[in-house]
Amino acid sequence: MSFYFIKAGLQTSLQDGGRYGQRHLGISQSGAMDANSMRMANWLLNKPLDSPVLEIAIVGPTIRFDHALTIAVCGAQFELHLNSKRVYNNQVIHVELGDCLIFSSLQQGARAYLAFTGELDISPMLASYSTHLTACFGGFKNRAFKNRDYLKIIGNDDSNKIDQCALPQRTLPDECFMPYPGNYLMRCTESVESSKFTKRQKTLFFSQAYKVSADLNRMGIQLHAKTLEFDQPMVISSSGLTQGSIQIPPSGQPIISCVDGQTIGGYPRIANIISADLPRLGQLKSGDKINFIMISRDYALQILAATNHWYDELLK
Amino acid sequence: MNTIGFNIVNNGDRALTIVFKKEIGHALSVAIINICKLVKERFPGQVEDIIPSYQSMTICFTVQAALDNQFQLELNRFINYSINALSDNRIAVVTDASQLIEIPVCYDKVFAPDLSELADYCHLTESAVVSRHSNKEYLVHMLGFLPGFLYLGGLDNALNCPRKTSPSSRIYAGSVGIGGNQTGIYPVQSPGGWHIIGRTPIRLFDPEWQSPVIASPLDRVKFVAISEQEFKQIEQRDNLRALPRKGHGNP
Repeated sequence: MSFYFIKAGLQTSLQDGGRYGQRHLGISQSGAMDANSMRMANWLLNKPLDSPVLEIAIVGPTIRFDHALTIAVCGAQFELHLNSKRVYNNQVIHVELGDCLIFSSLQQGARAYLAFTGELDISPMLASYSTHLTACFGGFKNRAFKNRDYLKIIGNDDSNKIDQCALPQRTLPDECFMPYPGNYLMRCTESVESSKFTKRQKTLFFSQAYKVSADLNRMGIQLHAKTLEFDQPMVISSSGLTQGSIQIPPSGQPIISCVDGQTIGGYPRIANIISADLPRLGQLKSGDKINFIMISRDYALQILAATNHWYDELLK
Repeated sequence: MNTIGFNIVNNGDRALTIVFKKEIGHALSVAIINICKLVKERFPGQVEDIIPSYQSMTICFTVQAALDNQFQLELNRFINYSINALSDNRIAVVTDASQLIEIPVCYDKVFAPDLSELADYCHLTESAVVSRHSNKEYLVHMLGFLPGFLYLGGLDNALNCPRKTSPSSRIYAGSVGIGGNQTGIYPVQSPGGWHIIGRTPIRLFDPEWQSPVIASPLDRVKFVAISEQEFKQIEQRDNLRALPRKGHGNP
C-alpha cells in the first residue's frame, strides 16, 4: 500500500505539527508552513489535527495510488484531477487502486496539504515526522520526495469498502475557503530590537508595500522595497530567533524567519508577525505584496484567542 | 556574584527575551544556563523552548500559556526572583556537568581552502595559525543557528579576521572556520562566509543519537590537530562522535 510519485513536484515533503523543545540544540520546529491548512485536511479525514501530511509547494506532484484510500487537500488551490475527473480542495476524496492524482497549474496560494487515511511506515525523528529541509533529516529518507519514490502507507485498508457511504462524510463550511489574493496585510508586535530602529526607519517600514522576492523557502522569506537606511551599523548581540521575526540585515531589506529557520539570529529585528498570521507565510510566493501594521501585544493575543476559538469550534 | 542587570523585552507575541547587561563571558553564561534550568523546571508545561545566548535567553510559550495572564505575571516574578537569588548566592550555581570535549581537526591544505589567506591577513605563518587555534580551550556558550552548531568563546585575538566579502556557496559538513572573533564548525553542508581552516571527521549532529548533539553549554572544546591519514581512519569508524560520550545534556 503506497503512494508512487510519478512526478515529485518542486518541493513535496512530509510535515506535521513540528518538533518542539529542541531549539536550544539549534533544531528549529519545522512542520507545516501553513498549519491551519494541515489541520483542516486532517480534520476532513477524522485524524488527529497534527498528523503527518504531504506539503506540496508551487509545482505539484503526480501521484499514483497503489491501493484504495481516502485523501483530502487543503491550502493552495491547484487545478486538481483524479485521472481525468476534476476534483477540489476541502473535500473528502476516495481513490481506487491505480488512480492518479494530478496537480496541474497553481491558481492561488503557494502550498497545498494532502492528508491521507492510514499511517506512515516511518519512525518519527526527534519526536516528529517533519522533514527538516535545511539540516536534511526526518520525514521520508531525510529529504523532499523525488520522482519514482514510493511512500509506504500501512493500516486502514479501504479496499474492503467498510461501507463508506455509511460513514459520515465531513465537509468544510464555506468560510474555510481561504482566499489567497497575493496581497496581504501582516499584523506585527514588537520584537527584541524594535526600539532601536529610528522613527524614519519605522515609518518607511510600516508605510510601504514589500514585494516577496524569488529568494524564499522554509527557512526564510526575503522581501524587497525601498532600503531601510542605517545611519550607523546596528550591532546587536545574537539571541533566540522566533518564527515570524522580521530581521533587517545591513542591506536594509527585510527577511522573515520561517519554520526551518535558524534558532539564533544576529540581525536586528524591527517587528515580529503575530502568531495568528503565521500560517499565511506558507502561502506567500515570489511577486506577492505585503504590508505590515503594528498592533499591541494584548490585541495580538486577543486575535490569537479568537482564532483558536474559531478553529476549535469548527474542527470539533 | 555581583548583581546582574537585565531587561525583559517581548520577542513577538509568544516569547520574551531577557537581555543581560553584563559582558559576554564564562560568569554570565553560567548564570544564564542556570536561570534557563530554573525556568524550565518551574514551568514545564507552559514553556515550549528556552534558547540561551551570549547575553540573553529567550523563553517561548505554548499558545495556552501566552493567553494566560496569571502565568505571564508568575513568570515575570519568577525571573526577577531567580536572577536576584542567583546574584546574591541564595541559589547554588551548577557547573559540575561541564566536560572537556576534544575535537580532532585536520588543518591540511586539502581541507583548509582559506588557511593561507587568513594567515596572510593576520600576518602569521600557517603553522602559527594552527597552533594558536588548537592550543586553546573554548567555552561552549550555546548551540544554535543550525542543529548542533556550537557558539564558542575564546578565539585568540590574533586570529580575528572579518568574514569573506562574498560567501562560499558550499561549505562541507565538519568544516572549521573563523569569522570575525568567532570560530566554529559547520555541522551540515551549507553556504557560509567564514574562512575555512580545517575539517573534523566527526559528526556534530545526528538525530538518531540519544542526545543528537556532541556538547552542551558550559562544556569546553579543544581542537586536536590530526593528519590526513588519521582523518580518514576516524571518518571510517562507526558511530563517529567526539569523546566523552554523553547521555543527556540540557541547559
